[in-house]
Amino acid sequence: MLAAFEYFAPKTVKEALSLLAKYKEGAKIIAGGQSMLVVMRQRLLTPEYVIDIKGITDLDYIKYDEKQGLKIGALTTHRTIEQSLVIQKHFGVLSEMEGNLATIQTRNWGTIGGNICHGDPAGDPAPVFIALNAKLKLASSTGERVIDMEEFSKDYLEVALGPGEMLSEIQIPTPAPHTGTAYEKLMVMKGDMGIVGAAVSITLKAGNGVCENARIALANCSSVPLRAKKAEKVLIGKTINNAILTEAGEVASTEADPLADVHGSAEYRREMVKVFVKRVAQIALERARAA
Amino acid sequence: MKGEMKELKFSVNGKPYELEVKPETLLVDLLREELKLTGTKKGCLVSACGACTVNIDGKAVRSCSVLALQANGHEVTTIEGVADGDKLHPIQQAMVDHGAIECGYCTPGMVMSAKALLAENPSPTREQVKEAIQGNLCADEGYVKYIEAIEIAAREMRGGH
Amino acid sequence: MEETFGNYSILGKAIPRVDAKAKVTGQAKYAADFEEANMLWGQIKRSPYAHARILNIDTSKAEKLPGVKAVTTGKDFGGFKWGWSGPTRDEEPLAVEKVRYLYEGVAGVAAVDEDIAQEACDLIEVEYEPLPGVFSPTEAMQEGAPLVHDDRPGNICVEYHWNFGDVDKAFAESYLVREDTFQTPRMAKGYLEPPAVIAYWPDPNRLVYIGAKGSPYFPYRILARCFNLPLSNVRIITPIIGSDFGGTKNDMTPADFSAVMLAKKAGRPVKIVTTQFDTLTTDLRRHPMWITVKTGVTKDGILKATYLKAVADGGAYTRMSPLTMFLVGTCHTLPYELPNFKYDAYNYFTNNPSSAAMRGHGLYHSRFAADVQLDMIAEELGLDQVEIRLKNSIPNPKPGEIYETVNAVHLATCGVQECIEKVAEAVNWKTRKKKVEGDKAYGMGFAAATYNSGTKLSAHNACAAIVRVCEDGSVNYLTGATDVGQGSDTIMSAIVAEVLGIKLDDIDLKRVDSAFTPVDPGSYGSRVTVHAGEAAKKAADDAKNQLLEVAAEQFGVKPDDVEIKDKKVFVKSNPNKNMAWERLVRIACYETPGKVIIGRGYSTQGISMYGLADFSKGAGDIGTNYSFTAQASEVEVDVETGVVKCTDKNVIAHDCGFPLNIQAVETQVQGGSYHQGISAAMYEEFKMDQGQTLNPNLVDYKRPRAYEAPMTDVIHVITNDPYGPFGAKEASEGSCCSAPPSIVSAIHDATGVWIKDLPTEPEKVFWALKKKREKGQK
Repeated sequence: MLAAFEYFAPKTVKEALSLLAKYKEGAKIIAGGQSMLVVMRQRLLTPEYVIDIKGITDLDYIKYDEKQGLKIGALTTHRTIEQSLVIQKHFGVLSEMEGNLATIQTRNWGTIGGNICHGDPAGDPAPVFIALNAKLKLASSTGERVIDMEEFSKDYLEVALGPGEMLSEIQIPTPAPHTGTAYEKLMVMKGDMGIVGAAVSITLKAGNGVCENARIALANCSSVPLRAKKAEKVLIGKTINNAILTEAGEVASTEADPLADVHGSAEYRREMVKVFVKRVAQIALERARAA
Repeated sequence: MKGEMKELKFSVNGKPYELEVKPETLLVDLLREELKLTGTKKGCLVSACGACTVNIDGKAVRSCSVLALQANGHEVTTIEGVADGDKLHPIQQAMVDHGAIECGYCTPGMVMSAKALLAENPSPTREQVKEAIQGNLCADEGYVKYIEAIEIAAREMRGGH
Repeated sequence: MEETFGNYSILGKAIPRVDAKAKVTGQAKYAADFEEANMLWGQIKRSPYAHARILNIDTSKAEKLPGVKAVTTGKDFGGFKWGWSGPTRDEEPLAVEKVRYLYEGVAGVAAVDEDIAQEACDLIEVEYEPLPGVFSPTEAMQEGAPLVHDDRPGNICVEYHWNFGDVDKAFAESYLVREDTFQTPRMAKGYLEPPAVIAYWPDPNRLVYIGAKGSPYFPYRILARCFNLPLSNVRIITPIIGSDFGGTKNDMTPADFSAVMLAKKAGRPVKIVTTQFDTLTTDLRRHPMWITVKTGVTKDGILKATYLKAVADGGAYTRMSPLTMFLVGTCHTLPYELPNFKYDAYNYFTNNPSSAAMRGHGLYHSRFAADVQLDMIAEELGLDQVEIRLKNSIPNPKPGEIYETVNAVHLATCGVQECIEKVAEAVNWKTRKKKVEGDKAYGMGFAAATYNSGTKLSAHNACAAIVRVCEDGSVNYLTGATDVGQGSDTIMSAIVAEVLGIKLDDIDLKRVDSAFTPVDPGSYGSRVTVHAGEAAKKAADDAKNQLLEVAAEQFGVKPDDVEIKDKKVFVKSNPNKNMAWERLVRIACYETPGKVIIGRGYSTQGISMYGLADFSKGAGDIGTNYSFTAQASEVEVDVETGVVKCTDKNVIAHDCGFPLNIQAVETQVQGGSYHQGISAAMYEEFKMDQGQTLNPNLVDYKRPRAYEAPMTDVIHVITNDPYGPFGAKEASEGSCCSAPPSIVSAIHDATGVWIKDLPTEPEKVFWALKKKREKGQK
C-alpha cells in the first residue's frame, strides 16, 4: 500500500513547525488525510517524513466575534463546520457548502486546512472563502503572516506555502450589511466534486439596493479557484435584474478555462458556468436583500 | 528512521490495545490483518465505497483513509463491537428482519454509518438517513430496505415511536 | 407489510435470510477474510499494452528477491486453453504468445508478504513487441484490420442470422415503419467485493481452492482439466460471496490459475486478493452494443414485424459472447406478440477487456431498444404508451395451454398484461399531469420487459441436492447452488423446510464444497430458484417419503395417509394419532437396524437442452419459463444543466410466477432496477482510449448511491407457473431490462427529447435540449 516513511506526531504547533523547519521539502504534513491518503495509497506521493498534525487540538476551534468576524482553526473538521450553530447563523453558506462536500465519513475526519492546502481547484471551500474575502494565517518557526485566500492557490495542487510554513487559521471578516453569499456546484450525485461550481457574494447599497460589491469565484474552471472579475464588474454599480444576471453568467463563462475530463467537455463546463453563476448570484442577491 | 515502528495506544470495541505499528499502516489493514477483525471490508482503494467504515469516538470514518497511528488515544468501534454478545443491536435486528441484507459486503459499513447517525440524531428525517449512508455503496438491493430498516431501528430505539 | 401469498407455512411470506445474522455482525467470511497457516501472498504482473507480442519474460531477478517463494508464467500451463464451452476455448491462464487487452496477466509471484510480492512483480522483465490494435466494432470490422486472434478472420467472434416469418412482406403491409439505432454503454458488473482466492495442495494430487465463485463447478472442471486431476480430487470451497451479477466471479481469472500454480510450486498456500482497480480494468464487463430496430405496425399500433440488428464489442476473448448474442434475440418475440422477426447479430473481438454476462444478460440491450421505440411509435400514431403495450401484450395462457412464439419460445404463464395494468393503476397513469417547476421538468415513463428463467445450457446442466436428516431431527441440506447474495441459501432451505413440514431454523444449509456437495451449474441464467429449487423439493420429498414409511408402520396406516406439518406427524384421516417430528426421526434412526435418512433429488425441468449449434438457429426455449415486468419511473430533469434525477415515484410490477420469499423478491427487483437498470440508463460508462480505461475507480466511474435512489414500490403478480417449484419463475432480471427504457421514456415525457445512447449523462441531455430549443426557434 503506502511506501514507508518516518513519522512524527507533534502535539503542539511549535513542535510541528520545528519539525517542518528541520526536514523541509522532504516532509509532508498530514492532517485528516482524506485527500492525501488517496494519492499516497497509489504511491503518487511518497514523502520521506510525514508530520501528522491531526492530534494538535489547539488548532481545532471556531471563534466568532461580531466585529472581528470568524476565525476557524486549520484542523477543524468539515463536519464541525457543517454543524456549528454559530456558522449556520452567521455564515450559512459555509455550512451549506460543507453539507455537500463528499460524504459524512470524509467530513468527520478531514479538516478544512487539509482541504485548502491540497490545492484542488475543484475543491469547494476555496471559492467560498474567496467570495467571503477570507484571509489565511500561515505560521512558521520564524513567525506568522496573513495572506488573502485568493493569493493562496498558485497552480493545480500547488499552494503558496513557503518552506517550513503551515496553515494555522482561516479568517473571515464579518460581511458588510446587506451582503448575501451562496455556493452551488454541478453534481450528478450528492457529494460529487462539482463539474463546475460558483461562489457569489453580493453587497447592496443601503437605501437604493444597487450592487455595491460583488465577488465571484469558480470551482473546477481553471488550475486554481478562479475569480471571475469581469463578471463581477457586470454586477457592480447596477440594480441587478434577470438580464444582468444572465450577462454576468455569460461573461464569467468567457473567463473560465475549464479542462475536459470523463465528466464533461470544456464546452459543456463553460455553458454550466453561465447557468451556475446566474443561479448562485440570484440566491446571493435574495440573501443580500433579506440581510 | 524510515519504517521504524511507533507505539499505538487505543481501544477497539472497548478493549485497550498497546501495539507497535509501522507508520505506513492504514487503520483498515491493522484491524483486518493484525487484530483479525475481518468484518470491516476493503472495497475500492479510492475512499469512495464506505465498505471500510468504522466509528472513531462514535463518528463514522473510512478506516482505509486513516493512518493506524492516527487512532492513537481514540476509541474505535468496528462491526464486531456493535452487537451485545448474542443480542443484536436494534439497527442490526432491523436490517435482518426487514430483509435489507443481500450479499452483505456493504452491510458492516452501513451498520456503522447508521449507528453513528442514530447516536447523534435519534429522530432523523428520511433525507438525513439517506445522507448518512450516501458514502456507503451497495450494489445489490437498491438502498430502499436499508433506509427503511434504519428508520425502523430509530423508532425502536426511541421506545417505539 | 404483512403480505403473504399462497397457503404455505414458510413460503410466500417475508422470510428473513438464513445468513443475515452472520453478515450483519461481521462474522460472515468472504474470500479475502480467509487465511491459512504458512500462507504466501500472490500478485499478478500485467501487460502495459493492449495488444502486443510477448518476446521474452525474464523472471530471474524476481526469483532472487528474498521472500519470493514461487514465480509462474504462461508457459507453466503447457498450452492449456479454456473457455465457456468446448469450441470457444481461446484463453490461456496467463498470456503466452500475445496479450490482447491492457493489463492482461502475464506472470504471477508468491512471496511472504504483499509488498515483496509487488516488488517482485516489478522485477519481472517482459519484452513486448507492441502491435496495432482495434478498439471498437467499427475498427475491428475494417478490411485489413489487425486481428485479435490470428485464426479468427474479420475479428468476428459471433455471427447469427435468424429469419422467422416474412419481415419484408410485413413491412410492406405496415401502416408505419420506423428504424432507430440505440446504444448501450460499456459497464462494470458493479460488485463491491473484488475477487479473491486462496489455493493450496494438501498433497501433490489434491487441490483445495477457496474463492469467490458464483458457479464453483466451473473452476472445478476447468482446474481439473488444467492440472490433470480427477474431479474427485478437486475441492472447491465457497465462502460468502459479495455478489457477482453474472461474470468474473462466475468465470476464471489469471489470479485463480496463478494462485493454484504458485501454491503447487511453493508447496504453501497462496492467497491473491485483487483490487477494485483490477476489477475496473480487467474483470468482465457488460457488452457495449449498437442496436438497430426496424419495426412495422398497423394504424392501431399492432406490431407486425421487427428486424433487429445488434453489433457488440466482445473484447479480447470469446467468453460467453455466443450466449449473449443469442439472448439479445431469443426473447424479442416477448412480451408482445410478434408474428415476423428477423435478427442479425455481430459480436467482434477487440483489444478491450472481455465482455460477458451481466444481470439482464442479452435482453437488457434489445428490450431497451424495443420499448423506447414502441414509445416513439406510440407518439407518432398518437396512441397512449400503456394502451399500445396492452394491445400488443401476450395474454396469460389458460391453465394447460401453451403460447408459442414464431421462434418456438413457449410460455405456460405470462403475467405482463396484469403487470402493466397494475403499474398504470398504481401511478394513476390516466390522470397524471405533467409538471414544470422553475427549471425542473418532471416526466414519467413506462416500460415492460421479460426475462428467461431456468436457463439450460449444454454440458453444465446437472443440478442436484441432498437432504440428510440428522438423528435429532435437525436437517443438513447439501446443494451445489451458490448464494451470491440473491438469497438462494434461504430459499433452498425454505423449500426443504416447507416440504418436510418443519421450521426454517431446523435446516442447516452447507455451502458448496465440492468434496461433499453435489453438482450444480451455478448462479447464472436465472436458474437457481427454478432448477436448484426443483432439486431441493425432490430431495426433501425423497427424505420425507422415507420417514413417512416409518411413520406409516408406527401408526398402522399407509404412507400416503400420513402428513407432517409444524413439526407434527399425524394421520390425515385421524389427526389424534400423531407424534412429534423429533420422535419420528429418532425412531427411524435408532430402531434396529437404524436407518440413515438421506434424500436426493435432481432437476429435470427444461424443455430443450441448448448448445452452440442451436444458437445459430435461434429457435426454441433457452428458458424453462419466463418472468414478466412492467415499470413506471418518474424523473426530474434540470432543463438548464441536463442533470436527471429519479424521484421517489417508481413502481414495478413483477410476475415471478410465485414469490417464494417476498422480501428477497422485493430487494432483488428494487436492486436490479436501480443498480443494473437505472444505473446503466443514467450513470455508468467506462470511457476508453485505445484500450485504456480512463475512469477505473469508483469516483470517476459512477455507481448509484442512496441519496438518489427512488423508493421503488414492488407489486407482486402471481401466475403460478407449472414448470417452476411452487409455481416460481425467476425474480428481478426483468427489472434490469424494464428500468432503462422507463427512464429514457420519462426523460422524453419531461422534455420532449429522446436520448438513444446511454447513459443519459447531463452533458448529453443538455446538448439534446439545446438542439431542440434551436430547432424550435427556426
